[in-house]
Amino acid sequence: MRNKKVHITIIAIFIAIISISLYYILKEPINLGLDLKGGTQIILKPTERGGEEVTTQSLDKAMLIIMDRIDKLGISEPLVTKDLSNNIVIQLPGVKDPDKAKEIIGKTAQLEFRLVTGTFISIKNQNWDTLKFDYEKGELVIDPDAEKVLLVDDINALVSGNLYEIDGELLSDPESEEMLLVKYSGKDNQETDVEGSSTGDGSESNVDINIDPEKVIGKIIYKPETRELLLVDYNDESETGEILVDSRNDAATLVGPVLLTGDKLAKVSAGYDTYGEIRVTLSFKDEGVEIFKEITSENIGRNLAIVLDEEIKSAPYIKVAITDGDAEITGIDSIEEAKNIELVLQTGALPVNLQIEESSTVGPTLGMDSLNKGLRAGIIGFILIIVFMLFYYKGLGIYSALGLIIYIIIFWGVMSGIDAALTLPGIAGIILTIGIAVDANVIIFERIKEEILKAKSPRIAIGYGFKNALRTIVDSNVTTLITAAALFRFGTGPIKGFAVTLSLGVVISMVISLLFTRSLIFLMSGISRINTPGFLGVRRRSGE
Amino acid sequence: MRFRNYNFDFIGKSKILIIISLVAIIAGIAGYFIQGGFNLGIDFLGGSLIEVEFTRDVDFAEVRSVMNDIGFGNAVLQRTESDRFIIRTTPIDEETKNEMLNSLNEKIGTTGPPLQDRNVAPGFGKQITRYAFMAVGIGIVGILIYIWIRFEFRFGAAAILALVHDVLVTLGVYAILSREINTSTIAAILTIIGYSINDTIVVFDRIRENTPKAGKLGYIRVVNDSINVTLSRSINTSLTTLIPIILLLILGTTALKDFALALTVGIVVGTYSSMFIASPIVVAWNNRFPKYKK
Repeated sequence: MRNKKVHITIIAIFIAIISISLYYILKEPINLGLDLKGGTQIILKPTERGGEEVTTQSLDKAMLIIMDRIDKLGISEPLVTKDLSNNIVIQLPGVKDPDKAKEIIGKTAQLEFRLVTGTFISIKNQNWDTLKFDYEKGELVIDPDAEKVLLVDDINALVSGNLYEIDGELLSDPESEEMLLVKYSGKDNQETDVEGSSTGDGSESNVDINIDPEKVIGKIIYKPETRELLLVDYNDESETGEILVDSRNDAATLVGPVLLTGDKLAKVSAGYDTYGEIRVTLSFKDEGVEIFKEITSENIGRNLAIVLDEEIKSAPYIKVAITDGDAEITGIDSIEEAKNIELVLQTGALPVNLQIEESSTVGPTLGMDSLNKGLRAGIIGFILIIVFMLFYYKGLGIYSALGLIIYIIIFWGVMSGIDAALTLPGIAGIILTIGIAVDANVIIFERIKEEILKAKSPRIAIGYGFKNALRTIVDSNVTTLITAAALFRFGTGPIKGFAVTLSLGVVISMVISLLFTRSLIFLMSGISRINTPGFLGVRRRSGE
Repeated sequence: MRFRNYNFDFIGKSKILIIISLVAIIAGIAGYFIQGGFNLGIDFLGGSLIEVEFTRDVDFAEVRSVMNDIGFGNAVLQRTESDRFIIRTTPIDEETKNEMLNSLNEKIGTTGPPLQDRNVAPGFGKQITRYAFMAVGIGIVGILIYIWIRFEFRFGAAAILALVHDVLVTLGVYAILSREINTSTIAAILTIIGYSINDTIVVFDRIRENTPKAGKLGYIRVVNDSINVTLSRSINTSLTTLIPIILLLILGTTALKDFALALTVGIVVGTYSSMFIASPIVVAWNNRFPKYKK
């Protein structure tokens, strides 16, 4: 009789669990993964910037900035996490314009103010053209037929026919093949060049004749890891300038060192000026105002480049010293672009560079389709399994049908309760666990039938059946849990969802069959009418 | 369905059964070479995948010819519904992608933005591959250790050989059919590993239980009886697991079908190997290094 009390208690506990599960099912709809409800997932790989390594701190800061940007884009319920290899994983449910989100989120937004030294032009047949910079190869694109490549201080003056100066000439060192920037001395240099090559004095003197070391301003080197094309000192290789692309005319432009950066900004606003031109106004903090005043007062008559992510956005001419600390980016194509610049500058620069490794957008139709079709397969499968169990195990099949229904309720309740996301592979996981849930019953029932065939009474057979099946069920399920754990550890988003549903399913079904079904069968076995071998699915024949 | 009344001589037939398995594995390897390797998805190779829905039903040839016309002759096409296609290309940028979508809209007519749009950088596939191998490797080692603790080392080794067999046969089917292998397939293969082991353990558990009888009946008989007595469980469980999975294979969407195919093949092969591969190996091991009476 003591046993009976234990069984009744177990059943009561399960009824409580079922009620709690039903409460959660009704209270909170199940949390769907991005692949089912639709949305965008972006995986960004951090790379070092400006020689600074990626650290946990810089990564965490980058994630905060990304959260801030997502917030400003007005996307609700975003999820920003890190994966095993320290990639940043961003999940955005139901984004209307994923391309825009992608563009803004990963933007470094490094704003720099640097003085323009000059623009490179190539001369060919009395005509000139600006030079392009090939980011991929890390070199300036120079026409092989070009007579010479020069650095002019003011490209706008050249275009409009005003006064400009030629500050340097780009020459290739015939010996080391290094690109050198040397002072331009008009025709003389050209003549020396010609003389030098015609005399052909041998390579050693060639250098001396061609390029006077006194006149060398510096050499051009490319740093592939940071994708920077730099002008460095000829001897100690210290950086004196950088070649950037001017976004307005695609011309390779030489700028000086960084004088002021975006972290000194106080306010950024995009809009139109009084002439109806699009512009982004930048206001500085006190500290920035001071520096900006210094820069502008010392460099009247030069152009100050506003550089955003290694691209010159505009390079206004400094007419007078600016004391109120406002700068403007002009020449922007659309108000959307201005708004994007405003957003990324407001949220600040990322401390690391980010590269998009994977992006995936799933529309809501496809996800719902999978969910509906998966559910339909699940429901039909569920019914067929119950029919099979009733047909094969007769009365015992009723227990497994009941166990299966309870399994679905508790499983669903736990998924809602712990807020686990149901993903597309997760659906497959659930459907698989329905099969696994029945397995425990099958093992137990087969054991019970075996014991009955050994001519034991149904009651004793049930006891032995459970006892013998316990070890098998535990051992076989633990191995499934081991694989689920491996999947959880190394899988990405949707696969993790699969691992979660699989382990939940295994544990819940094991608990149900070893506790609930067991207690129920024991209690029912007290009722002699339903406790015949026939009810248990066994027809005993004589001699068996 | 009263298997209990039968007494199949599984161990006696094990040579034939192992030959069948070898033939299946060799067919898979042949398929691999004939098809020119696995059909790896963008998860592993990198690239772009777009699923578009057209405003009307279109056949393969029409989409193919339009794709050729607009300069995407290399794209891999897959028809997922009468009006839906998955287009797989090498990595392309937003601009090129939008041009392609616009052309498809002009020439055939699409219902709106693509149903799905995935882009994977070529280098990223390496990371995914590495983690897939790590997951499979760690899963296998974990299982081996567990079986070693709970049973004997020889059981663990036999179980691992059986599941290597299951994985090889499943991959062989993918090679022969040239079905796409993606991260879902890897997850499915790991599940097969779990399932196959689950099945194997039920048989091993019986062998462990009956081993004390080996002195009287002989080990071969014990193993054979254990397979026979668990036969109805093995078949019933496979059936109940296969019912919903096969339904998923019939009723599911493309992605679910991908998953279900690996599971269907794996469950059938896993059940087969538990009985016909893992157990004969345990017997063979005992023949070689006798611990119990043959």
